[in-house]
Amino acid sequence: MIAALFAELASSMALVAAEDDGAPVFLLLAGPAGAGGTYFLAWRYYRNTHTSHGYERETRIEAKPVTGNEAKVKEITGTKKSGIDGDNRSDHRRRVQRLD
Amino acid sequence: MTSLPPPGEGSPSPATDPPVDPILDSIADPVADPVIDTQNERLDDGVNRCPKCGSTEIQLRPSAGMLICLFCRHEWSEARLDETIDNGDLATLTGTTMGSGATDIDTAADSLITMKCQGCGAEVVVNTEAQMGSRCHWCRHVLTINEQVPNGAVPDAVLPFKVTHDDAVARIDAFAGKRRMFAHRAFLRDFEPDNIVGVYMPYMVVDSNASADIAGVGEVQTRKYTRGSGDDKETFYDADVYEVQRHVDFTVDDLTIESSADRANIDSSVNTNNIINTILPFDTENAVKWNASYLTGYTSEKRDQDVAHLVPVVENQLLSIARSQVESSVDRYDRGVRWERERLEVHGTRWVAMYLPVWLYSYYHEESGKGMVHYIAVNGRTGEVMGSVPVSHPRLLAAAAAVGGIIEILVIAILVAAG
Repeated sequence: MIAALFAELASSMALVAAEDDGAPVFLLLAGPAGAGGTYFLAWRYYRNTHTSHGYERETRIEAKPVTGNEAKVKEITGTKKSGIDGDNRSDHRRRVQRLD
Repeated sequence: MTSLPPPGEGSPSPATDPPVDPILDSIADPVADPVIDTQNERLDDGVNRCPKCGSTEIQLRPSAGMLICLFCRHEWSEARLDETIDNGDLATLTGTTMGSGATDIDTAADSLITMKCQGCGAEVVVNTEAQMGSRCHWCRHVLTINEQVPNGAVPDAVLPFKVTHDDAVARIDAFAGKRRMFAHRAFLRDFEPDNIVGVYMPYMVVDSNASADIAGVGEVQTRKYTRGSGDDKETFYDADVYEVQRHVDFTVDDLTIESSADRANIDSSVNTNNIINTILPFDTENAVKWNASYLTGYTSEKRDQDVAHLVPVVENQLLSIARSQVESSVDRYDRGVRWERERLEVHGTRWVAMYLPVWLYSYYHEESGKGMVHYIAVNGRTGEVMGSVPVSHPRLLAAAAAVGGIIEILVIAILVAAG
């Protein structure tokens, strides 16, 4: 029965992969992606390797109003990128060039 | 605000002219470097008696957060550290101040301390690596260590356990219970939550007064449009690019840093120390002056890091806090911001060494010849629990394959029906 199921799957994949527009072949990746995602999320739920103390939020911090300035330096036209390269606005722990 | 030089400029000075670190600089200056005496003058090393009946049978009663004499049931507590030292306004904090229990460790100081029992004259040895008191094997008096020896074992303050053993066992049991299905079978077989240990972990609690400048590039979208048609249709964007600078002055109260080198090594590929880090923060404002009787019945880990070792960690966290503080000020850059340069100026810090309470369940697990200790930890004050449970890979692989298979069958069914 399992062999028959795999045979059916293989023939279906071959049929779909032969589609001219290419889109269905891409959809066939949903299965492996789902398997990988399930493994990763479950493993992380058990091992919690990503957790740490959120000192940015969980410590008593008193800050004066933020000051600053900005100056327009150029314009970009016709880019296909929907956002800036290297956006680290929310990645507070990734260090950048440290000035003295 | 001070303006930051452009990218590439303002990098660290050459080796002949080392960068000035405000914290380390003030540590080297004894004038700007006052030490706050936090020694509990009422207590000495050796026999410390109940103030009411004179017994040495004293221990913590976690549910009340009080010391209790097991002989006469008298209860009392040491004063809160915050009430005994001048905290002042953090915004005016300058230089480096530290408690006398946070001063540098003398590497020649021994972890083993020998005390003469005042009850019978016998000599009693205490290994301060793991405990701060011992019972005289001749006269049964309890002897405790309360003088601030320079081996890092006696901190400025201790935050007593509040979560009881039974409560901690229940929390660890519940945590592991939710993770049974894919847990390694050996872990489930050996799981004995009653075996948890109450440990006082060493931390530096740091107050800071700092300023930060951050600079980078932000983009604002001005237009979004499509070109082409059908399958060749593509989306394009126009944007304005800005040089952005931000400045923030801030104070941080009770930033809590691991002061044991082993615990501070948080690398989840080789250890699970991040689990213990995750259960922070503690209500450190309720820490009390040192009294080793709070540790009776618990184990402890000795501090092995000096202030100078921990300065880079504190500066790193202060920079992260500054970046967090300025985030909402750049909301208008809807295409994002790329911070490229940052500068931290630490005006003042105050360091207090503290023992903080953690309930710890540990399990040694070996996989592919590589061993790792998995912790499940409970914050001894708030009850927050976090843990690492070793995984049964065959079970998890089977479940993942089943999910993937179901998704694949559904996709194929849809495609076949559509085709």
